[in-house]
Amino acid sequence: MVKKRRDEQEFALTEPITLEETSSKTTLKSSLEEIKNYPGVIGYILRNTASASIDLKDPTKIIDYAIVSSSALDAAKQLSELFDLGDPKSIIIEGTGIKVVSLTIDDNKVSVFMERNADSEEILRKLHRA
Amino acid sequence: MDDEVYSFALKNTLDEIQNICPDIKNSFIFTEDGDILALDANTPEKTAVSVVDAFDTILEKGEVVGDLESVTLDSTNGKVSISNINKLFLATVTSRNADKNYVNTVTHVLVPTIVRLLEKMNLTPTKHDFIKQDLKPETPRFRPEERQEEQFEETEPERPRQPVEEEVKPNGLTPEVPVNQFIVENIGGLLVPADTIRIDNDLLVQWQGLYEDRKIEEVEIETFGGKSTLCKVKPIKDSKYEGKGIVQIPEKIQNNLEIKKGELVRVKPIIP
Repeated sequence: MVKKRRDEQEFALTEPITLEETSSKTTLKSSLEEIKNYPGVIGYILRNTASASIDLKDPTKIIDYAIVSSSALDAAKQLSELFDLGDPKSIIIEGTGIKVVSLTIDDNKVSVFMERNADSEEILRKLHRA
Repeated sequence: MDDEVYSFALKNTLDEIQNICPDIKNSFIFTEDGDILALDANTPEKTAVSVVDAFDTILEKGEVVGDLESVTLDSTNGKVSISNINKLFLATVTSRNADKNYVNTVTHVLVPTIVRLLEKMNLTPTKHDFIKQDLKPETPRFRPEERQEEQFEETEPERPRQPVEEEVKPNGLTPEVPVNQFIVENIGGLLVPADTIRIDNDLLVQWQGLYEDRKIEEVEIETFGGKSTLCKVKPIKDSKYEGKGIVQIPEKIQNNLEIKKGELVRVKPIIP
């Protein structure tokens, strides 16, 4: 098994931070701000090649959540290629603790973290409309 | 049951699932350690290994989500689903228009059932998991010179017996006690003894052949739920049940063992 590798330079964020806003990101971010208030939602990570926005209720877990987000999106791409399934639309990881919904919209990579009983379908619909 | 048989049974299950649900394009089962247990006919091993590698990354880096229960990927041309079933992971790839509910019903009912069944079948007399339960063995009727295994006296033969630890007494002269699986069938009628089951005469003859000079008059029935009982055995009378792997069991014994028609049980002869 691979040991957890943490890129602290990339994810050394201690509180909700917006590094750089781009116009294409604005709509998505406002949707995420709404989603953040949905029942059971713990927080989100939104990033693209130039910037990252992270808003999590528990800032001590930012690195862990960022790693999960990155792994999920990489796995989505890899699995889609393996089975020739076209472009990945979303990947949902469900554990005994929490659920993570990750997707790529344009150049933006989004992960929303939530309690297991939260309505991930509704969140996905909201994000796809953004 | 060895790993080969286990994998074979799982592979057949996957193939059958695809037969009844053609929307499933690929399916395979792997363990938490990444060992691939069974692949359907459409999935190359190399592909499965790549999936396991991708999944392993999530598994390793995903501590924050707790124990992983499922991963569901939705792509433009299909879906990949990986579900945790009793510590085994079932991966399925479905087409874009697959009926999600139907696929889930088929995979999440059939596979866990087969896995549980196989696990229970794996409980051979010498390695029963349930022997660790807090059970009081009944008065033993052990005949060391004649028997390979301990047996316990039954005051009421049809009463379910709690499983007890069995000690194997190696005996180079006595063949291993055969264990056969049967499908339960009802037996009724006014003159049917409540303590007697019926199995194929051919099998009784075969057992008899293994233990010359000993008449097999009693068997132990064991359910996959872990219940067992001793009862008398006679050949099946009704020819329509012959050669079909059926054991006819009176209703009372079925009730005591909490089984019913159509279920699987294991039957082994008691060597006198």
